[in-house]
Amino acid sequence: MEKQEDTLLTVGIDLGTSTTQLILSEITVENFASAFTVPRIEISDKKVIYRSEIIFTPLINQQIIDEIAIKEFVANEYHKAGISKDDIQMGAVIITGETARKQNSEKVLQALSGYAGDFVVATAGPDLESIIAGKGAGTEALSKAYSGCIVNYDIGGGTSNLAVFKNGDVVDTACFDIGGRLIKYDVDTKKILYIAPKIEAIISEENLSIHVGDIVTIEKLEPIISILVQVLANASGVGEKSIYYDLLITNHGLSNPETVSSVTFSGGVADCINDVDSSWDRYGDIGLLLGRSLKESILFKERQILKTEETIRATVVGAGSHTADVSGSTISYTEDTLPVKNIPVLRLTLEDELLAPEEMSKRIQNKLEWFVSDGELPLIALALQGEKAPSFKEIQRYAEGIALGMKPIWTMGKPLLVIIESDMAKALGNSLFTYLPEGHPIICVDSIQAKNGDYVDIGMPVAGGAVLPVIIKTLVFN
Amino acid sequence: MNEAELKSMIEAILQDVVAGKHSNVTGATSGVDMQSTPKESKSVVEDAYIPDLSELDIKKELYVDNPHDKEGYLKMKSFTPARLGCGRCGTRYKTKSILRFRADHAAAQDAVFSDVDPKLVEEMGFVPLQTVCKTKDEYITRPDHGRIFDDAMAKKIADNTEKGAKIVMMVGDGLSSAAIEANIRDIIPAIKQGLKKYNLDFGKILFVKYCRVPAMDPVGEISGADVVCLLVGERPGLVTAESMSAYIAYKPTIGMPEARRTVISNIHKGGTPVVEAGAYIADVIKEMLEKKKSGIDLKRA
Repeated sequence: MEKQEDTLLTVGIDLGTSTTQLILSEITVENFASAFTVPRIEISDKKVIYRSEIIFTPLINQQIIDEIAIKEFVANEYHKAGISKDDIQMGAVIITGETARKQNSEKVLQALSGYAGDFVVATAGPDLESIIAGKGAGTEALSKAYSGCIVNYDIGGGTSNLAVFKNGDVVDTACFDIGGRLIKYDVDTKKILYIAPKIEAIISEENLSIHVGDIVTIEKLEPIISILVQVLANASGVGEKSIYYDLLITNHGLSNPETVSSVTFSGGVADCINDVDSSWDRYGDIGLLLGRSLKESILFKERQILKTEETIRATVVGAGSHTADVSGSTISYTEDTLPVKNIPVLRLTLEDELLAPEEMSKRIQNKLEWFVSDGELPLIALALQGEKAPSFKEIQRYAEGIALGMKPIWTMGKPLLVIIESDMAKALGNSLFTYLPEGHPIICVDSIQAKNGDYVDIGMPVAGGAVLPVIIKTLVFN
Repeated sequence: MNEAELKSMIEAILQDVVAGKHSNVTGATSGVDMQSTPKESKSVVEDAYIPDLSELDIKKELYVDNPHDKEGYLKMKSFTPARLGCGRCGTRYKTKSILRFRADHAAAQDAVFSDVDPKLVEEMGFVPLQTVCKTKDEYITRPDHGRIFDDAMAKKIADNTEKGAKIVMMVGDGLSSAAIEANIRDIIPAIKQGLKKYNLDFGKILFVKYCRVPAMDPVGEISGADVVCLLVGERPGLVTAESMSAYIAYKPTIGMPEARRTVISNIHKGGTPVVEAGAYIADVIKEMLEKKKSGIDLKRA
């Protein structure tokens, strides 16, 4: 029978506001079921096997990312690690913080995702970034050992990404435009080179005299730093609310900040928290000042502070090791269809799912209209919740509804992609085959959750063909 | 007071109690007040019902008083149907825990000692067969009899299977009739649909009463089938009485090593979903036909 233990080589590339880095990790999947039951293949180990140098994100100017320099970096690191891009099965390029807002960020991301490996995906968006950083930092794992909510602050160059974990589940996220490189200056001359727009706004509101070209001093920066720290504490429901709290929000704050009981830190600024030796101006930014005053802040007094596994590498480790998942072990697919990349997801509501086949198919076809662009319907993955222990009849109802509803897609010769949460994909797939022309390609996977607006990548089978690696990503470019 | 007097006194007291006049018993002075409430006790009788304890999801029931970390406890319980967090009253279990235990135990007993409804066998169009066991007791006490057919049955098997068929499907009560009744309607079509993908199918389905797993061996020999698949009720436990297994073998023969059987167990609504198991069984059968092997040999291949 099939070999049921396997490893996946994955890559994570993080293009942050200040730094760019890459890791390679090895993910082991194993069959946890006894020999006498249906296989249950799950990820058993994630190991970072190569860590690149950390370089400053190469920019041509403040608005444009240096695509060529980044490609060179990736090529160099692959060479040093002794792997070719064909060895890489999955992974994620993640473009974060302010870098995501550069003019050519989307283009760089697309180019890089093809260049870094045939099966590397591009992802971005502050919420997903928060989650990835929290997983990479090890806060997710910590939350299984501690009761209560733990928030991870991933404080990078441009943004602070917060993710709240409880019992190993993500319960909330937030993002603030607070980072170590919102003000940059020349290390030697101390001349200010850059001030981020939101900081400019605070400066003018507070009537501070800090301008590009000025000589920077601790005293001048102090008021800015204390505002940033106050907002970071506010983010976890601590301290008097700053008038700049709303201004500094990137997309949204935490919905229930008062539930947070413990805090972890990752990102470059996390390393600055305990760095008492370096001169404050060592990096030509405000990272060290921010880290040190965080340590003295009310946040450290009112919340339990826990140590993380990773700090500055949290996001890249998260991208490399924690984005890939595996499908359930009883699924249906036709191999020649794989891999598939960047497939938009259409999620049915529970109400839609419970309809009779005719009605369900109408709902599906109506919703497919959302995806039509230039009069053309792209390949769509249909996501559903499914049922926990469905009867054979229920499976037939689902299959008929789905097959009819997705007809506009499969009549174009495109594969039928179905992602379902409940363990029923093998039976459903078998049933779908009966409604489609003989030999029509189908991918029907389960134990995966996908929402409207998500994109999905499905890789080549692993563990002797028993499972498919899956990455669900949320692309949000603001 | 003699025995007869005592008896009549108790009778009188009981009648009073039933009528709501237990003032005499308790010795309270105002019997009139107590008599004015029979309406209430009547309505209680009409509306009351005993909730079905076995309907509760054991993974979500925590009986520990004032747990230090209730959420953590429930999270832990969500991973296992084991009886964790039963709580206690003094040195014993709580009444709820004991009743649930007894209910589950009774369901297990029932699953073993009842028969599969003959109507189900008829409805599904199964060919009814029986091993040489004459009674449930014989079946339970003589495992060696649960694998043998007499000549008449052997002929019936031969008559109802295609000689040298690719696949013979059979169903046996085994140690849980409840498992067959709960799962068979959904698994048979799921297997059929799975096999259809490979242009495979099976003919008439045999149903064996008083069936042990090796009953599939004589069926294999008589029919000369390539693959015999037996769906059989598993010995019930306290988690579920509805768990079914599929035993599948390539050209099974009487006396063959047990290692030649491939087994897929734990098929029930709380374990492997029935329809998924059916779809998986179809793939296993197809692989067996391809590799002409089963059991450990198939795993090694």
